[in-house]
Amino acid sequence: MPDTSPSDDSSVAPRSTGRGFGRVLVTVYGIFALAATARSAVQIATKFAEAPVAYLLSAVAAVIYIVATVALARGDRTSRKVATVAITIELVGVLAVGLLSLLIPADFPSASVWSGFGSGYGFIPLILPFVGLWWLRRTR
Amino acid sequence: MTGPFATAIIVVALLLCGWAVVLVIANRAPDKALLGASAVLEAMLVVFLIGGIVQMAGSDQEFARAEFVGYLLACAAVIPVAAWWVRDEKSRAAAGVLAVVFLVLPVLVIRVQQVWAGPVA
Repeated sequence: MPDTSPSDDSSVAPRSTGRGFGRVLVTVYGIFALAATARSAVQIATKFAEAPVAYLLSAVAAVIYIVATVALARGDRTSRKVATVAITIELVGVLAVGLLSLLIPADFPSASVWSGFGSGYGFIPLILPFVGLWWLRRTR
Repeated sequence: MTGPFATAIIVVALLLCGWAVVLVIANRAPDKALLGASAVLEAMLVVFLIGGIVQMAGSDQEFARAEFVGYLLACAAVIPVAAWWVRDEKSRAAAGVLAVVFLVLPVLVIRVQQVWAGPVA
Protein backbone atom coordinates (compact mmCIF):
# COMPACT_ATOMS: atom_id res chain seq x y z
CA MET A 1 0.00 0.00 0.00
CA PRO A 2 1.28 3.46 -0.80
CA ASP A 3 2.38 5.50 2.16
CA THR A 4 0.42 8.73 1.94
CA SER A 5 2.22 10.40 4.80
CA PRO A 6 4.80 13.02 3.93
CA SER A 7 8.50 12.42 4.09
CA ASP A 8 9.44 13.92 7.37
CA ASP A 9 12.73 15.65 8.06
CA SER A 10 13.29 18.35 10.64
CA SER A 11 12.78 21.24 8.19
CA VAL A 12 9.18 20.21 7.49
CA ALA A 13 8.32 18.89 10.96
CA PRO A 14 4.57 18.96 11.59
CA ARG A 15 3.43 22.23 13.04
CA SER A 16 0.03 23.33 14.20
CA THR A 17 -2.25 21.55 11.72
CA GLY A 18 -0.43 18.23 12.12
CA ARG A 19 -0.30 18.26 15.91
CA GLY A 20 -2.69 17.35 18.67
CA PHE A 21 -6.16 16.79 17.23
CA GLY A 22 -4.52 17.32 13.83
CA ARG A 23 -2.81 13.94 14.24
CA VAL A 24 -6.20 12.28 14.33
CA LEU A 25 -7.54 14.40 11.46
CA VAL A 26 -4.54 13.58 9.27
CA THR A 27 -5.01 9.89 10.11
CA VAL A 28 -8.62 9.98 8.93
CA TYR A 29 -7.61 11.91 5.79
CA GLY A 30 -4.84 9.38 5.16
CA ILE A 31 -7.28 6.49 5.41
CA PHE A 32 -9.58 8.17 2.89
CA ALA A 33 -6.63 8.94 0.62
CA LEU A 34 -5.74 5.25 0.67
CA ALA A 35 -9.33 4.05 0.24
CA ALA A 36 -10.16 6.48 -2.57
CA THR A 37 -6.88 5.82 -4.40
CA ALA A 38 -7.25 2.06 -4.24
CA ARG A 39 -10.91 2.17 -5.22
CA SER A 40 -10.40 4.46 -8.18
CA ALA A 41 -7.36 2.47 -9.35
CA VAL A 42 -9.46 -0.71 -9.39
CA GLN A 43 -12.35 1.06 -11.15
CA ILE A 44 -10.18 2.59 -13.84
CA ALA A 45 -8.20 -0.61 -14.36
CA THR A 46 -11.16 -2.98 -14.57
CA LYS A 47 -14.32 -1.19 -15.72
CA PHE A 48 -13.50 2.33 -16.83
CA ALA A 49 -15.88 2.22 -19.84
CA GLU A 50 -18.93 1.59 -17.61
CA ALA A 51 -19.00 5.09 -16.12
CA PRO A 52 -15.98 7.13 -17.22
CA VAL A 53 -17.11 10.44 -15.74
CA ALA A 54 -17.88 8.95 -12.35
CA TYR A 55 -14.60 7.03 -12.29
CA LEU A 56 -12.63 10.12 -13.23
CA LEU A 57 -14.35 11.96 -10.37
CA SER A 58 -13.27 9.07 -8.15
CA ALA A 59 -9.68 9.65 -9.22
CA VAL A 60 -10.04 13.41 -8.59
CA ALA A 61 -11.37 12.65 -5.10
CA ALA A 62 -8.37 10.41 -4.47
CA VAL A 63 -5.92 13.14 -5.50
CA ILE A 64 -7.72 15.72 -3.34
CA TYR A 65 -7.52 13.45 -0.30
CA ILE A 66 -3.82 12.81 -0.88
CA VAL A 67 -3.08 16.54 -1.22
CA ALA A 68 -5.15 17.40 1.87
CA THR A 69 -3.46 14.66 3.92
CA VAL A 70 0.06 15.77 3.06
CA ALA A 71 -0.71 19.49 3.40
CA LEU A 72 -2.40 19.09 6.81
CA ALA A 73 0.46 16.89 8.00
CA ARG A 74 3.10 19.45 7.00
CA GLY A 75 1.24 22.48 8.32
CA ASP A 76 3.66 25.19 7.16
CA ARG A 77 2.36 28.42 5.67
CA THR A 78 2.19 27.21 2.05
CA SER A 79 0.73 23.88 3.12
CA ARG A 80 -2.08 25.65 4.98
CA LYS A 81 -3.08 27.43 1.78
CA VAL A 82 -2.85 24.21 -0.20
CA ALA A 83 -4.92 22.42 2.43
CA THR A 84 -7.56 25.16 2.42
CA VAL A 85 -7.92 24.96 -1.36
CA ALA A 86 -7.95 21.16 -1.41
CA ILE A 87 -10.51 20.86 1.38
CA THR A 88 -12.73 23.52 -0.22
CA ILE A 89 -12.69 21.51 -3.47
CA GLU A 90 -13.43 18.42 -1.37
CA LEU A 91 -16.46 20.14 0.17
CA VAL A 92 -17.79 21.27 -3.22
CA GLY A 93 -17.05 17.82 -4.64
CA VAL A 94 -18.86 15.83 -1.99
CA LEU A 95 -21.90 18.13 -2.20
CA ALA A 96 -21.98 18.13 -6.03
CA VAL A 97 -21.33 14.41 -6.50
CA GLY A 98 -23.70 13.60 -3.65
CA LEU A 99 -26.46 15.60 -5.29
CA LEU A 100 -25.77 14.31 -8.82
CA SER A 101 -25.67 10.70 -7.63
CA LEU A 102 -29.18 11.16 -6.29
CA LEU A 103 -30.51 13.05 -9.34
CA ILE A 104 -28.95 10.86 -12.05
CA PRO A 105 -28.13 7.59 -10.27
CA ALA A 106 -27.60 5.76 -13.59
CA ASP A 107 -24.32 7.61 -14.11
CA PHE A 108 -23.12 6.87 -10.56
CA PRO A 109 -23.39 3.11 -9.91
CA SER A 110 -22.09 3.44 -6.33
CA ALA A 111 -19.00 4.74 -8.00
CA SER A 112 -17.05 6.93 -5.62
CA VAL A 113 -16.43 7.83 -2.01
CA TRP A 114 -18.58 10.92 -2.62
CA SER A 115 -21.67 9.15 -4.04
CA GLY A 116 -24.76 9.66 -1.90
CA PHE A 117 -22.80 12.21 0.16
CA GLY A 118 -20.44 9.43 1.26
CA SER A 119 -23.20 7.15 2.50
CA GLY A 120 -21.04 4.09 1.75
CA TYR A 121 -18.48 5.41 4.22
CA GLY A 122 -20.72 6.37 7.10
CA PHE A 123 -21.14 9.92 5.71
CA ILE A 124 -17.66 10.69 6.99
CA PRO A 125 -16.75 12.17 3.55
CA LEU A 126 -19.50 14.75 4.13
CA ILE A 127 -18.39 15.66 7.66
CA LEU A 128 -14.64 15.61 7.00
CA PRO A 129 -14.29 18.83 4.95
CA PHE A 130 -16.22 20.81 7.58
CA VAL A 131 -13.93 19.47 10.30
CA GLY A 132 -10.90 20.17 8.12
CA LEU A 133 -11.86 23.80 7.47
CA TRP A 134 -12.74 24.27 11.14
CA TRP A 135 -9.35 22.91 12.15
CA LEU A 136 -7.50 25.19 9.70
CA ARG A 137 -9.36 28.18 11.19
CA ARG A 138 -8.81 27.03 14.74
CA THR A 139 -5.05 26.62 14.32
CA ARG A 140 -4.51 29.87 12.42
CA MET B 1 -10.44 -16.57 4.98
CA THR B 2 -13.34 -16.42 7.35
CA GLY B 3 -13.24 -18.48 10.47
CA PRO B 4 -12.12 -17.97 14.02
CA PHE B 5 -8.79 -16.31 13.30
CA ALA B 6 -10.34 -13.38 11.40
CA THR B 7 -12.98 -13.09 14.12
CA ALA B 8 -10.24 -13.04 16.76
CA ILE B 9 -8.51 -10.18 14.92
CA ILE B 10 -11.76 -8.19 14.83
CA VAL B 11 -12.43 -8.78 18.53
CA VAL B 12 -8.89 -7.83 19.56
CA ALA B 13 -8.97 -4.70 17.36
CA LEU B 14 -12.28 -3.58 18.88
CA LEU B 15 -11.01 -4.22 22.42
CA LEU B 16 -7.87 -2.18 21.72
CA CYS B 17 -10.05 0.54 20.17
CA GLY B 18 -12.05 0.71 23.39
CA TRP B 19 -8.82 0.82 25.40
CA ALA B 20 -7.48 3.68 23.25
CA VAL B 21 -10.75 5.61 23.63
CA VAL B 22 -10.49 5.25 27.42
CA LEU B 23 -6.98 6.75 27.24
CA VAL B 24 -8.27 9.65 25.11
CA ILE B 25 -11.01 10.36 27.65
CA ALA B 26 -8.49 10.10 30.50
CA ASN B 27 -6.28 12.57 28.59
CA ARG B 28 -3.35 10.15 28.46
CA ALA B 29 -0.91 9.09 25.77
CA PRO B 30 -0.76 5.38 24.87
CA ASP B 31 1.03 3.41 27.59
CA LYS B 32 3.51 0.57 27.11
CA ALA B 33 0.80 -2.03 27.68
CA LEU B 34 -1.31 -0.72 24.78
CA LEU B 35 1.75 -0.55 22.54
CA GLY B 36 2.60 -4.14 23.45
CA ALA B 37 -0.95 -5.27 22.72
CA SER B 38 -0.78 -3.40 19.40
CA ALA B 39 2.37 -5.34 18.52
CA VAL B 40 0.55 -8.60 19.25
CA LEU B 41 -2.32 -7.54 16.97
CA GLU B 42 0.17 -6.57 14.27
CA ALA B 43 1.75 -10.05 14.52
CA MET B 44 -1.72 -11.55 14.03
CA LEU B 45 -2.22 -9.37 10.95
CA VAL B 46 1.09 -10.47 9.45
CA VAL B 47 0.02 -14.10 9.96
CA PHE B 48 -3.34 -13.17 8.37
CA LEU B 49 -1.50 -11.70 5.36
CA ILE B 50 0.75 -14.73 4.88
CA GLY B 51 -2.06 -17.21 5.52
CA GLY B 52 -4.33 -15.37 3.10
CA ILE B 53 -1.77 -15.44 0.30
CA VAL B 54 -1.05 -19.14 0.91
CA GLN B 55 -4.78 -19.95 0.81
CA MET B 56 -5.23 -17.85 -2.32
CA ALA B 57 -2.39 -19.68 -4.06
CA GLY B 58 -4.04 -23.01 -3.27
CA SER B 59 -7.51 -21.97 -4.45
CA ASP B 60 -9.15 -22.36 -7.86
CA GLN B 61 -11.98 -20.03 -6.89
CA GLU B 62 -12.86 -17.01 -8.98
CA PHE B 63 -12.43 -13.83 -6.98
CA ALA B 64 -10.72 -10.44 -7.24
CA ARG B 65 -7.21 -11.54 -6.30
CA ALA B 66 -5.47 -8.17 -6.59
CA GLU B 67 -8.09 -6.53 -4.36
CA PHE B 68 -7.79 -9.39 -1.91
CA VAL B 69 -4.03 -8.96 -1.57
CA GLY B 70 -4.47 -5.17 -1.44
CA TYR B 71 -6.81 -5.39 1.53
CA LEU B 72 -4.51 -7.90 3.27
CA LEU B 73 -1.54 -5.57 2.76
CA ALA B 74 -3.59 -2.62 4.08
CA CYS B 75 -4.47 -4.67 7.18
CA ALA B 76 -0.80 -5.35 7.88
CA ALA B 77 0.34 -1.78 7.07
CA VAL B 78 -1.98 0.47 9.07
CA ILE B 79 -0.58 -0.15 12.57
CA PRO B 80 3.09 0.39 11.60
CA VAL B 81 2.22 3.55 9.63
CA ALA B 82 0.11 4.90 12.53
CA ALA B 83 2.88 4.11 15.02
CA TRP B 84 5.35 6.01 12.83
CA TRP B 85 2.94 8.96 12.54
CA VAL B 86 2.53 9.36 16.32
CA ARG B 87 6.13 8.56 17.27
CA ASP B 88 6.72 12.12 18.59
CA GLU B 89 3.20 12.80 19.83
CA LYS B 90 3.12 12.67 23.63
CA SER B 91 -0.49 13.75 24.06
CA ARG B 92 -3.76 11.85 24.01
CA ALA B 93 -3.91 12.54 20.27
CA ALA B 94 -1.61 9.53 19.85
CA ALA B 95 -4.24 7.37 21.54
CA GLY B 96 -6.86 8.98 19.29
CA VAL B 97 -4.93 7.97 16.18
CA LEU B 98 -4.66 4.38 17.45
CA ALA B 99 -8.40 4.35 18.22
CA VAL B 100 -9.17 5.34 14.61
CA VAL B 101 -6.86 2.67 13.23
CA PHE B 102 -8.28 -0.06 15.50
CA LEU B 103 -11.78 0.91 14.36
CA VAL B 104 -10.82 0.74 10.67
CA LEU B 105 -9.14 -2.68 10.97
CA PRO B 106 -12.37 -4.67 11.46
CA VAL B 107 -13.76 -3.00 8.32
CA LEU B 108 -10.66 -4.04 6.38
CA VAL B 109 -10.86 -7.61 7.68
CA ILE B 110 -14.52 -7.83 6.71
CA ARG B 111 -13.65 -6.53 3.23
CA VAL B 112 -10.97 -9.25 2.96
CA GLN B 113 -13.66 -11.82 3.74
CA GLN B 114 -16.15 -10.29 1.29
CA VAL B 115 -13.63 -10.22 -1.55
CA TRP B 116 -12.65 -13.84 -0.78
CA ALA B 117 -16.28 -14.93 -0.85
CA GLY B 118 -17.48 -12.80 -3.73
CA PRO B 119 -17.39 -13.32 -7.48
CA VAL B 120 -15.17 -11.22 -9.69
CA ALA B 121 -16.73 -7.77 -10.00
